Amino acid sequence: MIQITREERHWFLDNVARALVEHSGAAEPPVPIEAILDHPPEAFHEDFGVVDMYSNLWDATFARPPGQRGSIFVRVDLPATARRHALARETLSAMITSKHGRDLGLPDLLMSELKESASYFASILLAPEAFVDAYRAQGGSEALFAESFVLPLEVAESRW
Amino acid sequence: MSMQSLNQLVARSITDPGIVQAFRAGRIGNVLDELGFTPDLRAQLAGIECDSWAEFAVMSYRQVRAAEAQAPRLQFPSPLEGLLPADSQADQEQVA
Repeated sequence: MIQITREERHWFLDNVARALVEHSGAAEPPVPIEAILDHPPEAFHEDFGVVDMYSNLWDATFARPPGQRGSIFVRVDLPATARRHALARETLSAMITSKHGRDLGLPDLLMSELKESASYFASILLAPEAFVDAYRAQGGSEALFAESFVLPLEVAESRW
Repeated sequence: MSMQSLNQLVARSITDPGIVQAFRAGRIGNVLDELGFTPDLRAQLAGIECDSWAEFAVMSYRQVRAAEAQAPRLQFPSPLEGLLPADSQADQEQVA
């Protein structure tokens, strides 16, 4: 396995996120993360389930029970912004561990820095560069950025 | 254009298993033909040997970045040489 830099890993993740946004058909924020998980690309049909759960231990986690569809188990009582970010973050784990993800070689490329990769991926999936550029070009304000993209404030700050 | 083409290829591979199938079958050159790479770069990318598609993508990224970094040096004259033709510069030196 080759050694890759953080910048190269982020470039790769930019394109993974772009593929999902293009698949969704979204042309403006907010990116419909729940719709992407409900209607995933064909290659991920067995990997993108969502199960609402009561939990105090975590906001969301991806699991693939043996022989069953993989699902993101997400706390039912999360605020919308936290839920969207948690779902977007765990989507990367779903992709990495999927058959297509393994065929692509995603585990070797991303597993060693999974936490940072998933966090970056979630921020770029929910606030794609093209959408952010368009928002700025149309005079969108920083004050309404988080609200327009339905982002947690700390993610909005990192993407503005 | 080349980086845009590579971005398009990598994004497409995420939703289209046909790309990684072509890569594994040694037919990635056919896929590259559909994109806007220069002949030289297309040949370089087609010659990359890697264990996985993701590695191929990163190696391709390095090649495309290197090619794009070289491009401006080929297009613009060096500031040390100036913008005048060589024989014109010689004339000025003789005058001085």
